[in-house]
This record gives sequence, C-alpha cells and structure tokens, in this order.
Amino acid sequence: MCSKILTLSNVLSRPMQLFFKPNATSNLKPNINVTSVACVSFFNKLPAEKLWKSVTSVSNAGAKKGRGKGAGRIRIRDLNRGQVIGTGKVNMLWPGLSAPVIRGRELLKQQKLPDDPERMEKLIKIRDSMTKFRRLKLSSIERGWSGSRMPGRSIGPPDPIGEGGDRKWSRSCWFGLGKAKEAPAALRKAKNRAGQKLMHFEIYNGHTIFHDFFTAFGKTKIFVQKKNEGYGLKCHRAIREICQAIGIKDIRAKLEGSNNLQHIVKAFFIGLLQQRTHKQLAEEKKLHLVEYRAENEYYPKVVASPTEVRTKDQIPRDETLHFVQYVMNDKVILRKKKFPPFYEKMPHYKIYLKKYEKYRNHEKIRQMLKVEYGDVKSFLNERFPEEKVEQSET
Amino acid sequence: MSLLLQKIATKHVKTLIIKYEPCVLVISNRKLNIVPSFYDGEQDPAPKFFTPNVQNLLKRLTRPDFTKVFRKRNNQGLHALKTPKYKFLTKEELELEIAKANEKADVLLQIPPVLKIHKPIDEVLSRDPALIGYDTSKYLFTDITFGIANEERIIIERDTDGTLRSCDHDIRKKLNQVYFPITGRKIREPHMFSDEEKFHNLLDRGEYEFVLDRACIQYEPDEPIFQKITSITYQHVDNNKCYNTLRSTRHFGSMTFYLTWHQSIDNLMLEIIQSGFIREAVLLAALRHDVHNDVREGTAAQSLAQEIFTTPLLLSKLERLTEEDIQLDSKCIQCIEKYIVSNSTIKSQHELALQGFKEDFQHLSELRKGLEKAHGNV
Repeated sequence: MCSKILTLSNVLSRPMQLFFKPNATSNLKPNINVTSVACVSFFNKLPAEKLWKSVTSVSNAGAKKGRGKGAGRIRIRDLNRGQVIGTGKVNMLWPGLSAPVIRGRELLKQQKLPDDPERMEKLIKIRDSMTKFRRLKLSSIERGWSGSRMPGRSIGPPDPIGEGGDRKWSRSCWFGLGKAKEAPAALRKAKNRAGQKLMHFEIYNGHTIFHDFFTAFGKTKIFVQKKNEGYGLKCHRAIREICQAIGIKDIRAKLEGSNNLQHIVKAFFIGLLQQRTHKQLAEEKKLHLVEYRAENEYYPKVVASPTEVRTKDQIPRDETLHFVQYVMNDKVILRKKKFPPFYEKMPHYKIYLKKYEKYRNHEKIRQMLKVEYGDVKSFLNERFPEEKVEQSET
Repeated sequence: MSLLLQKIATKHVKTLIIKYEPCVLVISNRKLNIVPSFYDGEQDPAPKFFTPNVQNLLKRLTRPDFTKVFRKRNNQGLHALKTPKYKFLTKEELELEIAKANEKADVLLQIPPVLKIHKPIDEVLSRDPALIGYDTSKYLFTDITFGIANEERIIIERDTDGTLRSCDHDIRKKLNQVYFPITGRKIREPHMFSDEEKFHNLLDRGEYEFVLDRACIQYEPDEPIFQKITSITYQHVDNNKCYNTLRSTRHFGSMTFYLTWHQSIDNLMLEIIQSGFIREAVLLAALRHDVHNDVREGTAAQSLAQEIFTTPLLLSKLERLTEEDIQLDSKCIQCIEKYIVSNSTIKSQHELALQGFKEDFQHLSELRKGLEKAHGNV
C-alpha cells in the first residue's frame, strides 16, 4: 500500500514540473511543493499488529452473535515474509548491506541493478499461500502430550535478564503460571516467571527420592513411592516432566481426587520440599537408619547414624518405629485384597488343569533339548527321520 | 625349513604350524602345561583339613570382604530389582543384625570339603544264574523313601547275568538326581567340563569362580572328576597369580589347602608379601606347618598365628600404625625372614618383596613416631 502511494506522488510531481518549467522566469510562485518524499499516514505510524487488528477484529455485539469465526475470517499475514532488508522495488546494490564493501581490490559503489519485474508477483504468491491455517510440522522429539498442541512441549530457557551467570541447572526445577490474551504471550510470561523461582532438590543415589510421602493441594492428593533402579517414572505426565527436569528416574506417584494440572504440580513440589534426607531422619529419630536390599541378600547396611543413639528404654511405647509409617506421617495406604480371577471358580477349571499337566513343562523341555542336542529331538523321534527330510526339501 | 618349523612346534606347544604344499595349515593346540592331580588313597587330606585350627587359618586367609560376599549377582533368580527396605534400629538391635549377617556370610563362605577319592562300591548281594536270558537290560531298584540321606539310599541293580549288586557311584548319583533333584545339577555332563577346549577357554578368560561354583553343584567332593577340575583350576590360578578373583569366596580356602598340600605356596606367599599383608603370610606359614610339619620355626609361627586371630581382619594395607600393630608386625617380619631362609624355593623374589615391605613398614612407624612427637606424647 505504501509503495503504491509512492508511485502516485511520482506521477503527480512530473507533470507539475513540466507545467512550471517553461515559465521559469515568471513571478508566479509554485504553490505546490513537489518532492519525492514518502507520504506519512496512519499506515506508517502504527505497528502491523494494530493495523491488522483494525481489519480483523470483531465488535463485542458481533462476538456474542458468533461473528468473525467462520470461513470469511481474514487471516493475519506477515507482510515481511519473502522480503529481505536491502532489496525492494528499486533493485539497487547497497555495499555494506546486500553486498560486501570491498570485493577483491575493488571498492564497490551504490549502483542500480536491472529490475526484477516478477518481484511483486512472487510476494503476492507468498502472501496468498499464507491464507490457510497450517498445522505446525513437528518432529517426534519436539512433540508434546498430544500432537502439535502446546501442553507438554518444551518452551526453552527463560529470557535472560541482565547477566546470565553460571547457575547449576541440574537437580533444580521451577514452575510458573502466566495468563495473557494471546497464547504466545501467556507462554512467555509463564516461562519468565518460572525462571525467577528456582528450587533445589536432593535426590537419593541420583535416581529416586529418599522415602515415600503423601501430599495434597486442594482436592488433589498424590501418594508418592520410592522405587528401585530400572522401575521408571510411573506417574502423571506432568509429574514425569518435573522428575525428568530434576533427575529422578524411578518413582511411582498415584493421583487421587482432582487432576487439576496446577494443583498436581503444586502438590508434588510441596511434597518434594518437605522430604527429609536419610541423615535428617536419623537425627529426628535418634536411631540408626539401616537399609536392606534383596539383591544383597538383605545385608544390613547402615545408611545414616545420628550423633547420639537412643536405647530401647528411651523409646516411648506408642512411637512409630516402622519406617514407611513414620515417613507417611502415620498414613496407611489401602492395599486391596487380590482375588483370584473369575475363571478359577468355573467348574471346568480343575479338568483343564489336569489336562494341561501333560503339556505344562513342554516349553522348558523343548528349550533343554535345543541346548543339549541342538534340535528338538530325542530317542522318540529318531525312528521317524522323514519329517526332517521333508522340512529340508521345503 | 621343515626342521626349523619342527623346532618351533616343539618349543611352543600352544600353536602348531604344518606347511602342507600348496597351503599353510595352522592348528591351534590349546594344551595347557597343567597336570591334574587327585587325592589318592595313600594320603588322606580329610583329617588335616577338618581340624578347627586349619579351618580358622583358611577362613582368615580368604580375607572376606562383605561388599563382595553379598554383591549383586545376576544368577540369583531375581527377575527384577526390588525397592530397598529401611528400618530404625537401636545399637543393640543393629549388633544383632550384624551377627545374623555374619552367620549368613559363614554359610556363603563355607569351604567345600577336601576328601580323598571314593572307593568303588562292589558289593554283591546275591547271584542267581537262573535269571540269565530273562531280559536284555539291567533293572535298577531305588529306595525313594523320603527322609533318607542320598548317600545312604539303597540303590541296587539286577544285571543280565542274574547278579544282584549295589550300584556304583555314578549310577547312584544319576538316580538320586532323577528322584531327588538338586537345582543346578544336570544328569548329562555339562559341555564345559567334558570338552577340553571349552574348559581351557573358560580358564583363560579368568572365569574361575563360575567354573568352581558349577563344579561344586555338579559333582561331589570325593569324585575323581571334581578333583581333576578343581586341581586344574587351582593350578591355573596359581600360574596366572589371579588370587584376588577367588578372595572373599568359598573357594579360596580349598585352593590354599590344595597348594599347601602340594608344596606350591611360593607364588601365593610372594603375592601376599607384595600386597603388604604380612600377618597373612605368617598364617600361611603356620598352615604349612600344620599340614606338613616342615617349617623350621613352625611352632613359633603357630603361636603368632593365634595372636593374629585376636586382631581384627584387615581388608587393605594399614595407613596408620598403633604401638601393638608395630610390635606384632615386627614379630611377623622376623618369622617370615626365618621361613624364607628355610622353606622358600624362590628366595630372591621373596626377600626382595619382604625388603619392600620392611621399607614401607619403617616409613609408617617413623611417621607414627613423628606424629606422637608432634602431639607431645613421647
């Protein structure tokens, strides 16, 4: 639009000059000051966002009636696409901008290059292709929880303010909430707000938490259990993201009640902050904390010792000495009784078991035969070797 | 050309090169220079082995490190890891738990018995020539009453010529395994023991513990095959000086007893002195005296060994010495010096190693004196 206005002024100035030139000596002062200067209007004063908003926005009454959402909706197009600084309608060579200042031994000067007549057409073509709303093409690594939607996707590090500094990012996590009218603005706000609130967490052995715990925020309740190496993150996808950021690799978190995402995150962080290291637990209880591992034949390994240890007489009768009960603050997780599957009560089940007894061990036997003889063979099928010959023929 | 090759072939037994026109054939002959040995009838190691003194010495020499004794093993039958359990314990309860763990360790470190080879069973119960031609195969009868020990089980056979006799050891073992199986024991002989190539391959790879564990499961200690396998393994360990692979396992004791019985503890002694465990060297000398009675100052070594039993077990070289340590260690050094003079076959190497230890020891004792002076406790 602006470029078009430029051409108009040029058109106007030329005939004006022609008109006044023969009477150069006349006393008439030209009233029209003709210079090829860019016209300044609201197109140039306002940013592109506002201009587009004026074209596309819908009034309150119209929004109530559902206007501005259908097929005729004008899409905001970025007019800068397809254009580079240094190129324009007048195709000129700008040393320092679109070309090097010194090429070899030659000092380049501003010069006019031949016109590209198809430039406008190309731009229009690009702008036409921007009409449809295109789904973002994301690689599988960039994908979030569902398709190319934002939840679950990484927004990147927060915008730097002032000096960056070298902070340790590992074992630390942050969360922030941002609200705004547009999605990218809201994301930016959340990202930056999160960057302000860095929280440090301690982890046991670099892969899991120190002990089980229970947390709640609002109506969201989480039962978190410490697990062994190789168990994985068996929890809500949001909690999984948090654990990956902190460095927890094995945990089980059972959600109960509401699954409001903000509440889940807050509850989990509260639980992590309230965690106590083994040393702290030993100090609180004034007893040795001993670890038993199944793979080490339950050898009693002292993990933490307090500065002074209590004796049996000094421990009151009602004190919770059971580790899990103490750590869950006397909360006991309901473990439902496991009932046998429905088919075991059916009348034919016993008959099936008796029939199956013949073949129960066959899989192991086949394996052992292959180990010992290289093939599933025994003295029983030595008498019928034709079977093998048939197989080799086919 | 062929003479040269022959010379090479005779010298290097490991690879044998035959030049056969037009191609060159290379045969790798994995023959080890190890001769298996058995505890034959004349010398019975059992009375010497089962004395409490010898048992204590062997247990002490294995230097059990609980992190290795209770290490995570892949063949335990645990399909997946389990979460560790935690307990709050008082001091007394903790000591009880540690005592229980020591008992478990004792079970894991029980040394496999050293016995002489069993005599073949040749008891004929009855001869019935009237039964000749009754059947073309033998009949085997096994008493499968629950509660009888496998060794006492009555297993008899009726041969084709009518004689009813008690079965020999190999048939007994097979039938016991059929009716009362031990997990891990196979009826068919495992390839790794029957195939020389595979067995030597395993030993070359250093899988001593695996071989010995499997041999203990598969065979009884009084079988000739077991003695053959273990003797080859122990000699291989001795040749390669890989004693640390067997330390903190149950096999170190039987290996040490084997080497002591066959008078080849020099390499072991050298390794112990070089690692700086002078007390273990004294224990080894005492063990030799117990078994063979041929150490010159043997009784002194034995009494010193008794003194060493009272001190706690050392898993690594001492960094700081106390007064008692210095006294005990100097006595040990004197004892070992006498042993090297009287009983060592590689005197120079032993003396060199002992010299190195003495220097370290002096350095440490001087350090201690210096520290005492600095603290003002001269």
